[in-house]
Amino acid sequence: MTISGIAPDRFANAFRRGAEDASAALSKWLGRPATLCVERLDALPISAAAAVLGSGDEPICGCAMRIDGVVRGLLLLATADAAGLALADTLLERPVGTSVSWDDLERSAVVETANIVGCAYLNAICAALEPAGSDGILPSPPLFLRDFPAVVMEAILLEQPFPADTVLLARTEFRIAGTPVECGLVFLPDATGLAPPQSPTAEPRGRP
Amino acid sequence: MSDRLTPRPVLLEGENVEIGQIGVAVGGGALKTLVGSCVGLVLHSQSLRAAALAHVMLPASNGHGTPPGKYADTAVPEAVRLLCKAAGEPSLACTAKLVGGAAMFAFHSGIPIGEQNVAALERILADFGIPITGRACGGGHGRRLAVDVVSGLVTIQTAGHGTEYLK
Repeated sequence: MTISGIAPDRFANAFRRGAEDASAALSKWLGRPATLCVERLDALPISAAAAVLGSGDEPICGCAMRIDGVVRGLLLLATADAAGLALADTLLERPVGTSVSWDDLERSAVVETANIVGCAYLNAICAALEPAGSDGILPSPPLFLRDFPAVVMEAILLEQPFPADTVLLARTEFRIAGTPVECGLVFLPDATGLAPPQSPTAEPRGRP
Repeated sequence: MSDRLTPRPVLLEGENVEIGQIGVAVGGGALKTLVGSCVGLVLHSQSLRAAALAHVMLPASNGHGTPPGKYADTAVPEAVRLLCKAAGEPSLACTAKLVGGAAMFAFHSGIPIGEQNVAALERILADFGIPITGRACGGGHGRRLAVDVVSGLVTIQTAGHGTEYLK
């Protein structure tokens, strides 16, 4: 299965289910409602993709996971700096505003959030696109980065095996009830990101 | 030193050069971009008061080649060509500065793409006989840079790693 081989409505439906499951996972993880406020799937020129998190001077934090398996690509949980720290306070059951810098505890809180929400998102996409019994996804541990928004996006664009001039981007944004926190997921499938890995018994490509 | 001879720091204003693109300016103003693992390649001609800025993503085009600013092996000749064209000269002497080439996410083993970008540009600039007069490369953070077209001064800002200048 490849991206181009999937009917557009089935593909969009899979990402919608991913966003819904990620929202539910975030609500459960935080113990309060997380509202899905934006969900988009676009093919963008790479210059536009580099700007989807904004082009401002204020740093953001991003937690990225490399995804292998049935679905392959890069998944990023991104928040504004202040919102990320507020998210950490919420998880650590402290008054929002307690955290003022990205120390180990704060980083750990958002990295674990990326792990839980990201895996819920991708498992739902896999379930929508693949028959039962497939191998599912193999996520890497999330890596934390704090930098300019365009630098964070550039970093995941360059993690593609063959960076293309146009990329497919799925974006989901959440608002968390009772907090100033807004955070988003960005998923960048590899160019052949939905192609299943070859079976070990399959004939190698190119063999006569 | 008089004001006339003192390079004027650029306040990161000017024409933005997007990822994979090349910007050129003559006689005044500034060119700017923002890089992480990518490399900002600055070419500057002091005598012609002209500068080019390429936002290089990858070390080799492997025959792909478009847009030329995206790859180190096509960005250098194209930036030189555009600089000559903008200055109205068949050839020119210029210097180079390199900014970026950071290692942002370490998902893979092997040489990080940013380091490969810098190495490729150094090799190709040497082939073209263009001396490198300044570098701000490596590390694990992004850089916002702007080049003053007249003086060639490059101003670099980071998120949490301060500001530096390449004269």
